[in-house]
Amino acid sequence: MLRYVLRRLLYALPIAFGVSLVCFTLVHLAPGDPIDSIIPEGASEEAIAQIKADYGADQPLPMQYLKWLGRVVTGDLGQSIKSGRPVTQEIAPAIVNSVILASAGIALALIAGCGLGTIAGYARRRAVDSVITGIAITGISIPHYWLGMVLVVVFSVGLNWLPASGMGSPADLSHLILPAIALSAIPTGIIARSVRAAVIEVRKQEFVQTLYAKGLSDVAVFRHVARNVAPTVLAVMGLQFAQMLGGSILVETVFSWPGTGFLMNAAIFSRDLPVLQGTILMLAMLFVVMNLMVDILQMLFDPRVKRH
Amino acid sequence: MSTAVATAPAPTASGFRRPSTGFWQTVGRRLSRDPVTLACAAILLLIVLAALFAPWLGLDDPYKQSMVRRLKPFGYQGHWLGTDELGRDMLSRLVYGGRSSLFTGFVPVVLATLIGGLLGIVAGYLGGRWNMVIMRCIDVFYAFPSVLLAVAISGVLGAGQFNSIVSLTLVFVPAVARIAESVTTRVRNEDFVDAARATGASTTSVLFHHVLSNVLGPILVYASSLISVSIVIASGLSFLGLGVTPPNADWGLMLNTLRQSIYVAPVTAILPGIMIFITSMCFSLMSDGLRSAMDVKA
Amino acid sequence: MVMPMAGAHAESILRVASTTADIPLTTGQASQGGEGMRFVGYSLYDPLIRWDLSRSDVTARLAPGLALSWSPDPETRKTWTFKLRPDVKFHDGSAFDADAVVWNLDKLIKRDAVQYDPAQAAQGSQYVQNIESYRAVDPLTVEITTKTPDSIFPYMMASVLMSSPARFKEVGQDWAKFATQPSGTGPWKMDKLVPRERIEMVRNPDYWDPARVPKTDRLVVYAMPDPNTRVASLLSGQVDWVEAPPPDTLPRLKAAGMNIVTNIYPHIWPYQLSFSPDSPFRDIRIRKAANLAIDREGLSEFLAGTAMPAQGSIDPKHPWFGNPSFKLQYDPEQAKALMKEAGYGPDKPLKVKFAISTAGSGQMQPLPMNEFIQENLKEVGFDVELVVLEWEALRARRRAGSDDPVNKGIHGINNSWGYWEPFIGLMGVAGSTQRPPKGYNWGGYSDPEADKLVEAAFNEFDPEKQDKILAKLHERIVDQAMWIWVVHDLNPRAMSPKVKGFVQAQSWFQDLTPVTVE
Repeated sequence: MLRYVLRRLLYALPIAFGVSLVCFTLVHLAPGDPIDSIIPEGASEEAIAQIKADYGADQPLPMQYLKWLGRVVTGDLGQSIKSGRPVTQEIAPAIVNSVILASAGIALALIAGCGLGTIAGYARRRAVDSVITGIAITGISIPHYWLGMVLVVVFSVGLNWLPASGMGSPADLSHLILPAIALSAIPTGIIARSVRAAVIEVRKQEFVQTLYAKGLSDVAVFRHVARNVAPTVLAVMGLQFAQMLGGSILVETVFSWPGTGFLMNAAIFSRDLPVLQGTILMLAMLFVVMNLMVDILQMLFDPRVKRH
Repeated sequence: MSTAVATAPAPTASGFRRPSTGFWQTVGRRLSRDPVTLACAAILLLIVLAALFAPWLGLDDPYKQSMVRRLKPFGYQGHWLGTDELGRDMLSRLVYGGRSSLFTGFVPVVLATLIGGLLGIVAGYLGGRWNMVIMRCIDVFYAFPSVLLAVAISGVLGAGQFNSIVSLTLVFVPAVARIAESVTTRVRNEDFVDAARATGASTTSVLFHHVLSNVLGPILVYASSLISVSIVIASGLSFLGLGVTPPNADWGLMLNTLRQSIYVAPVTAILPGIMIFITSMCFSLMSDGLRSAMDVKA
Repeated sequence: MVMPMAGAHAESILRVASTTADIPLTTGQASQGGEGMRFVGYSLYDPLIRWDLSRSDVTARLAPGLALSWSPDPETRKTWTFKLRPDVKFHDGSAFDADAVVWNLDKLIKRDAVQYDPAQAAQGSQYVQNIESYRAVDPLTVEITTKTPDSIFPYMMASVLMSSPARFKEVGQDWAKFATQPSGTGPWKMDKLVPRERIEMVRNPDYWDPARVPKTDRLVVYAMPDPNTRVASLLSGQVDWVEAPPPDTLPRLKAAGMNIVTNIYPHIWPYQLSFSPDSPFRDIRIRKAANLAIDREGLSEFLAGTAMPAQGSIDPKHPWFGNPSFKLQYDPEQAKALMKEAGYGPDKPLKVKFAISTAGSGQMQPLPMNEFIQENLKEVGFDVELVVLEWEALRARRRAGSDDPVNKGIHGINNSWGYWEPFIGLMGVAGSTQRPPKGYNWGGYSDPEADKLVEAAFNEFDPEKQDKILAKLHERIVDQAMWIWVVHDLNPRAMSPKVKGFVQAQSWFQDLTPVTVE
């Protein structure tokens, strides 16, 4: 098993390097000299020359990449050109806020998705199954940012039950409800379908028939089924959580939720490239790490699963 | 937001066989008997035709503003769906918006299928070291969450329909390539391919007749499932201000500009989203239908 | 650490939602334009000369701040003597004196000074650009000498804020640290700063002007650039006061019992045009055509009574308006005729590019307004492309000047403007020698007649005579269609009925000290 973990890690490393290379290149794709975007306003000529030397702007690109990489590895993501604060300081609270939102979203998706998927899996081919599959497909196809707007229209503008935007004070959970629902639409659909397929698959297997034959109650059989479905669910959940974390920008924009997506939005329009680059890098790395963890956990739960 | 979880069809007990014309006929027949697919196809056809023939449908000018007639409700003075925040006819904006949104959603999938499909098939067919090199490069891009990558590329390139298309294509190529490679590898390892080669068939003819005809199906199914995702993300980019620019009509952009009026005309504000939803849903359902129709194990 | 007011009741808090995307700089010279100075700059700090914001019926005028009096020497008129207010202390307890003034001028001017701050200098360079030299005569007297006779120098000093040298030393001479523990002489002290989210300030009970010690214990200013968020936050009770609510939401706010306050103030919403070699606006016919193409009445209707059509840079009731002969009205036919003369028309459109922002202090509703105007201009033969930037990014483009490579291809910048003093309103934008960073002539407008009037205004120290010269200058620039002028903002604010005591001054700045929340 350790060999498997090591192998996966070794595999992830070049991916991580590749990701950092893409992030670095993205900045240099931007029109204009990327260095110009890092120089703070009103800097003196000596300061400008110093910054250029620091970033190795006069050196060939590969050298610049390595220098940048060196700084990144030590935790220096540069400074926001807008606020002058270190990028890490800007990203840290944003990541926390995004994690809060994504966690709420995945929790909702888990409950709804497992519930729906299990019911559908048990009710194969009956009307209930079709309805639930319909709901699942709706969840996957719906533009979640639009769903957010609809929720705002109904629950904020219309009924004034829930706040329309912002995060509010930490203790105030009411701000979390609508954005979490919007964010959970797609994972609910995906989890519901996966769970349904897994439940059907497991129930068809011989050992389940055996359990029924032995006279075990429905509930007891269900526990067995659940245990077997769990690895799949966890894998899907992990992947969806990672996707939500990285792709939350749309929902965060609708609700002005101060997470990484909101930060990226601001950075794009203010052309604050260090913040943009840092955020993309962090999110992509998080995604790689989470994928890795999901793979390893999946292997832990089911040694029969082979990966090449 | 993830791309759909796709599985290539599994080999049957007798292994892959080159699908006869009868296979495609079966698929066609199955599709035409599926009421859901038919309904979706009809709706989509209506939307696409309306978009294509928009200039000839006798609609109001989608760019004509009128401050006096801002945010009017349904049916006001002949505006069936009311007016937007600058007094422009909503029905017209929605139809013309369809042109932009459908185009920006569709083209990247087509491009990504061609490019990604080619990459994947080549990698799968060549196998060995070439496969590893190509697929590792692909994996790097696959390591980004789709929305993040799309926003990042668009954010860096700047707003505009062209940049959006480039951005989305880059996002989808890895996904298609992976599926294509996976299916190609499986097909390639089947006995009948080696058998065909043993009989002296040239590489190209083997590639064409046997490999392609077996992999095209799964690739198309996957690509079709990408369309709905693409439309949603493309509109999302416009919603963020990174896609189509004002004053053009585009569903995502309309959602953006109408957001301000959500307190005054809430229903109008969410109308463009309904279009995105319907289109995305129909494509999703049709893609599902296509997959079931092609499922040999049905 | 704040002590609640005597009588030990719960702390009274005034919560404001501002349009800025981030918290303005807290080190002294605030960023984020007028709004930054309004809520942070003038809250935490004072200038030598302040604005009297106590009346809403007249345009705000200057009053003694940290200086009790100021006057130029009678011969050269270049050396100003400021008599400072005694017994003023910074928040950290150190004394405010002439040395502190010199130190703060060094902060903006002297590049090799240890306290020189590029960020603050970027915000404040235009206010100090005419300063030749300065010195502390005695602890309560400062002499500042200008390069040229400058009748409007007092207005400049109203924008130079005094940060505490002692605190700067305390934090190890590091402005980044100073920003988290600022110290000024202002009516509010900073308690807490959450970047990108909010700043919390508490009243300064030892403020040197007892009449202006804040009546509320705590002032919280939120950064909420998204208008929907601001409106939602007022409706849900998260804040008590929002800046710039979108006109569309006013009916809903009124229905919920909120008070909407408006007042004229020295504001203009224009396109500042480029006169660089590649700009089509060098042709006066094209400039006039653009001005005649805009339906200002229609736009004001769209803005639901929160805007007034412009007749120039200055509003018609102001002493500097004069009597321009070029009338800004909606005349698309005349506009098309002018365009045709210049070789353009709806069938042969002229491509122009404007830089605009998504939000910002004084920017009103930039996106829909620009879309509206884009259509207006299209009808007479302009093909307008909009380059959308974030507010601070737009300000940076404005400070760079139209000749800077970053502004290549940009023919106009949609940067709201003010005219609370003659330099920013007229002289700094019309004088050919006033290109950034010295002045505000973004586009490089160059007109000998205007230059003569600018020179005359600089040298006229009698306010009434100066007003007449400025009126002539205004007439000249309107007749020359120097800019495209659109509307004046009427400064709408929405506040909860619990907010009392607010006097809306005719100014970009407001005094929050008399405000109470029930």
